[in-house]
Amino acid sequence: MKNFSNLNEMNDKILKVKQFLIELEAMAIEFPAISKNSKRALASTKMMELNISDIVELDLHDSI
Amino acid sequence: MSVQEYWNPILETLPLEKLKVLQFKKFKRILSWAYTHSKFHKALYDNAGLTPDDISSFDDIKKIPKVEKSMMRGIQNKDPFPYGDALCVPLEEVSAFRQTSGTTGQPVYQPDTWQDWEWWSECWSFVLWAQGYRPKDRVFIPFGYNIFVAFWAGHYAAEKLGCEVVPGGVLDTQSRILKIKELNATAMMATPTYILRMADVAKNKMGIDPKDLFINKITCAGEPGAGISSTKKRMEAAWGAKVYDHSGATEIGAWSYECSRQPCGMHVNEAMFLVEIEDLNTGEIIEEPGRKGKMIITALDRMAQPCIRFDSKDIIQWDSEACECGRSFRLIRGGVLGRADDITKVKGVLLSPASIEEVVRSIKGLGDEFEVIVDKQGDADRIKLKVELMPEVKKSNIKNILRDQLRLKTNLGYQIEFYDYGSLPRYEVKAKRFKDLRKKKTVEKECRP
Repeated sequence: MKNFSNLNEMNDKILKVKQFLIELEAMAIEFPAISKNSKRALASTKMMELNISDIVELDLHDSI
Repeated sequence: MSVQEYWNPILETLPLEKLKVLQFKKFKRILSWAYTHSKFHKALYDNAGLTPDDISSFDDIKKIPKVEKSMMRGIQNKDPFPYGDALCVPLEEVSAFRQTSGTTGQPVYQPDTWQDWEWWSECWSFVLWAQGYRPKDRVFIPFGYNIFVAFWAGHYAAEKLGCEVVPGGVLDTQSRILKIKELNATAMMATPTYILRMADVAKNKMGIDPKDLFINKITCAGEPGAGISSTKKRMEAAWGAKVYDHSGATEIGAWSYECSRQPCGMHVNEAMFLVEIEDLNTGEIIEEPGRKGKMIITALDRMAQPCIRFDSKDIIQWDSEACECGRSFRLIRGGVLGRADDITKVKGVLLSPASIEEVVRSIKGLGDEFEVIVDKQGDADRIKLKVELMPEVKKSNIKNILRDQLRLKTNLGYQIEFYDYGSLPRYEVKAKRFKDLRKKKTVEKECRP
């Protein structure tokens, strides 16, 4: 397994981007050009979550 | 091993025991999502006396009822129209429609949100990166861009990687070859049948040797050919390019891929999918390598119409070897070996059409095309094999080799018919080379993806 020292930092930034986009989408209900592009960007942000956040957030030392 | 080898250098090298922890937690997440957002899934699990809370260990996963394609057909054309109540999101969130090819009956509709399409292309990004696609590549995609999922997500993934994508949509075969030549395209995605067809047209109708073009890698999907060594060799020889296998399906996603090491098998993307192999006779889950069974698969992150313990009917087996590429995603030996509903009993012997393809394509002097017809002569089964002889090849030199190899590989005798090169049907996308006329109604092979 490869080690990345800045994994947590990357995850923090992904979650911040996500939060900004959620807020932006909510602010722009009557501004489709912003709300729809925010929604679309959120879908891309979700892919970054799947690539990193799931690993950071899940306690991988859990037993199964 | 350079981290540049991997699309995701963490997930792809995660030790198996940690992958299993990740899979279990993601399985619980998608199960809860489906249970709380889809009437179909809630009823399915309630009827089995289970809720997501009852799944407390990896072993419990097998308690969850499987989903068959026929069940998905049964819920369609009802509200919310046309998908029915497996839909987990409001209809207005659905941004894309695709459907299965429907050759075994009513097509299954597949709704996806924009996030699901991002997910589709993310899964394909693992595939293409592992096969050496990089931003310098100019990727030509010769398929029909229609209601079938085929290479749509491959297109988006290649864009995401930074490649330049040339959509080869409605062009005919000769125009596609000319465009590949004109643009010096370096990579291509198509079915094995069409890869061979294009090479044939280029060489024999246009006087262009595909090896003189700049294509250096080809990704195949939709048919098992890139996992059949003799067919793969033919494609690689014809194009002078590496040919890689990949497997996916409309209802599932892009779940496995061959990496650039070509390890005689495909990696299962175990970060995005949970693959279980079920013994065909006992139904037990097979953990050990080398035992064939039927794939039961869960797409761990697909949201609009979840795919949870889907009975794919693909026959696969785990490999005992790890791949030298360093990925911890397990290999399935030989890729997808066939489909449970493709394997037919002829003269009391189990026959897989892929084993006939392996023999025909391994014999130099035979053309790429062939046809297999199983029928009855009186009460006995009969298998007729139609093959093409390449120009200037003598039947007498081939017949005994073909008969012996077929007997060796399939334990069956064949009535062999030879045809002139170019006289059997040619296919543009997926081929229908196997016909079983013993059944009242011929059921054609369901194609993937």
